[in-house]
Amino acid sequence: MESGEEDGYYYTSDQESLDGLDHDQSNLQPLSSTVNSAKVITKESLLAAQREDLRRVMELLSLKEHHARTLLIHHRWDVEKLFAVLVEKGKDFLFSRAGLTLVQDHPTFSPSSMMSCDICVDDVAGHLMTRMDCGHCFCNNCWARHFAVMINEGKSKRIRCMAYKCNAICDEDVVRSLVSKTQPDLAHKFDRFLIESYVEDNKMVKWCPSTPHCGNAIRVEDDELCEVECSCGFQFCFSCSYQAHSPCSCSMWELWRKKCHDESETVNWITVHTKPCPKCYKPVEKNGGCNLVTCLCGQSFCWLCGEATGRDHTWSSISGHSCGRYQEDKEKQLERAKRDLYRYMHYHNRYKAHIDSSKLEDRLSDTILEKVSILERRQLQLKDFSWVTNGLHRLFRSRRVLSYSYPFAFYMFGEELFKDEMSAEEREIKQNLFEDQQQQLEANVEKLSQFLEEPFDQFADDKVVQIRIQVINLSVAVDTLCKKMYECIENDLLGSLQLGIHNIAPYRSNGIERASNFISSREAAGEKRQPPNSGWNSEDTSCSSRKRPRREGVYRNNQTTLLDLNLPADVIERK
Amino acid sequence: MIDISRVQKELQDCEKDRDSSGIRVCPKSDNLTRLTGTIPGPIGTPYEGGTFQIDITIPEGYPFEPPKMQFSTKVWHPNISSQSGAICLDVLKDQWSPALTLKTALVSVQALLSAPEPKDPQDAVVAEQYMKNYQVFVSTARYWTQTFAKNSSLEDKVKRLVEMGFGDAQVRSAIESSGGDENLALEKLCSG
Ligand SMILES: [Zn+2]
Ligand SMILES: [Zn+2]
Ligand SMILES: [Zn+2]
Ligand SMILES: [Zn+2]
Ligand SMILES: [Zn+2]
Ligand SMILES: [Zn+2]
Ligand SMILES: [Zn+2]
Repeated sequence: MESGEEDGYYYTSDQESLDGLDHDQSNLQPLSSTVNSAKVITKESLLAAQREDLRRVMELLSLKEHHARTLLIHHRWDVEKLFAVLVEKGKDFLFSRAGLTLVQDHPTFSPSSMMSCDICVDDVAGHLMTRMDCGHCFCNNCWARHFAVMINEGKSKRIRCMAYKCNAICDEDVVRSLVSKTQPDLAHKFDRFLIESYVEDNKMVKWCPSTPHCGNAIRVEDDELCEVECSCGFQFCFSCSYQAHSPCSCSMWELWRKKCHDESETVNWITVHTKPCPKCYKPVEKNGGCNLVTCLCGQSFCWLCGEATGRDHTWSSISGHSCGRYQEDKEKQLERAKRDLYRYMHYHNRYKAHIDSSKLEDRLSDTILEKVSILERRQLQLKDFSWVTNGLHRLFRSRRVLSYSYPFAFYMFGEELFKDEMSAEEREIKQNLFEDQQQQLEANVEKLSQFLEEPFDQFADDKVVQIRIQVINLSVAVDTLCKKMYECIENDLLGSLQLGIHNIAPYRSNGIERASNFISSREAAGEKRQPPNSGWNSEDTSCSSRKRPRREGVYRNNQTTLLDLNLPADVIERK
Repeated sequence: MIDISRVQKELQDCEKDRDSSGIRVCPKSDNLTRLTGTIPGPIGTPYEGGTFQIDITIPEGYPFEPPKMQFSTKVWHPNISSQSGAICLDVLKDQWSPALTLKTALVSVQALLSAPEPKDPQDAVVAEQYMKNYQVFVSTARYWTQTFAKNSSLEDKVKRLVEMGFGDAQVRSAIESSGGDENLALEKLCSG
């Protein structure tokens, strides 16, 4: 780390090599080839995604589809874990745990002979009876009625055999065919449950939490601790399904969200600053050090105990009234409540300020595009303006980091979560360390914002070159500072805690991972593979206009792909 | 629609071995939706010597949905409400299978009397007593059995009903067809 001489802003050592244009670009430009592991699973591709996992299990164990599904549902669609159990504990263990019974040779019965069904106690022709894999055989009518009850009770995923204590899961083809004969809509419901189980029972897949729901689910590959962006534009934390909130941990964010929504703080304020008048019960505010307060109605009362008093008083006592011995306690309580409230307000104000700025900056994207096109029309020596859009993207990204660093600090250095984890001195040292970084980041973010808001499209050639250097420098600096802050949180702050429950989604220089569309391996083999970042390709935008509510701001229209830092510069230029 | 033929078949089967099992099921209404089950208190338990009556309601979806059962005789037991007679038993809930019958369900209820599950209580007061003060529990349960579950003898019932003005043979057959339920027998006698 090294501080820039002028202005005291932080620059990286890269600033010395500014002349190397391409070098800087490659620094700024995250590589689009980084593994894009999150996938958007639309309603349409849900079935294909599920089939793919089913097929893997079916092929490896040579099973029928419903047997594979039973195993997968039992293992929450975690194919790797299922295979691991198979290797470690063997096939029999795997099957019996999931309620899978494969008995191959059952006595066959002639389809014409009459048999008795133990459920309805009727005699039924053999062809109207069905034997499940477990060997239990009942009439089709009884099976169908059993299936209907189970589906209506929401047990589609695990419809057990009718025999008492038989754990076998019924063949889904049998369920489907017997139910659809009499109740087609119920069969439909059954299929929907099975398909949705792929999302609901799968820890690597989650519905996009956007409201109104975009209909998509997101699948991540190996780490659930991450932040993703759905193709609808919504960015969320995969672990807790709330909006992306790093470097705040999920539990911190949960607490903060509640705290902000809670009116208790306002209530707290009123209790700290006002007291009800003992006569008219209106809240009365205290305005000065004196503990004798007078309400608008004319009633005087003692601030400390709230009791009505006369008006004669000295600094230390009110005539005819004594509650002095409680004074100290009450005063202390009051002080504490006040201190807590002010502390919260301090953090909340800063958090809110950055959230507000980021909303304003969202609107900046339109004017920025305007400026870029003006610059492009001018015959300048500079031809590449990707630094503008890159800078803007960096600004958005770091502004968010900055916003969420405040609730993080509120809990990290407060008493709610880690009271006993650190000594007061330790806490102070850590807080100073963190706040130094936070302030550096803050200063650089503001500076970047300031530069991007300048009317540089009107500037002379050399001044544009100047501002370009500033923006590039600040972009790099801000990125490095964000990275450093996450490292500090992970290693110096949370890393040393005993309670290891606070995990933070890692910082990604190139922004929150944008999930690409799911393509089943079959499709991929047959069709031309889509580029890994399909967030903007033509197929995608064509279907997006149909069903995806685009959010205000960056992703509003096709042009805005200009702001996409996930794309290599040359692609942006061609557009 | 209730599967009448299945319920009828169950009643017949139950009747066949009622002497060995001691378990009886008698209809309360003609459409077979309300029945009365009777189980003897298991030997070697505080319920020994008692006869317990259970109200049975057959739901529309029977036997694909479990029958609803509730003690009408007051019982002191951790898994049975001392107030309402409601029973906490897995077989009557998610472990129900259409292959089970009213009789097998009643056998399970009888087994529950022998083996309480105080960790999954229906009646918290009883369960706590069972765990903390077992001896007191046993005597309370025994007292309740003596007070509420001891049937008066057949002759006592016959005598009472005859005194009300019904014929002896008529009374005996009414008691017989009501599974020993004196009140039910009286209803039958009154309705002709
Ligand atoms: Zn049947
Ligand atoms: Zn079975
Ligand atoms: Zn979405
Ligand atoms: Zn989270
Ligand atoms: Zn007043
Ligand atoms: Zn004063
Ligand atoms: Zn006072």
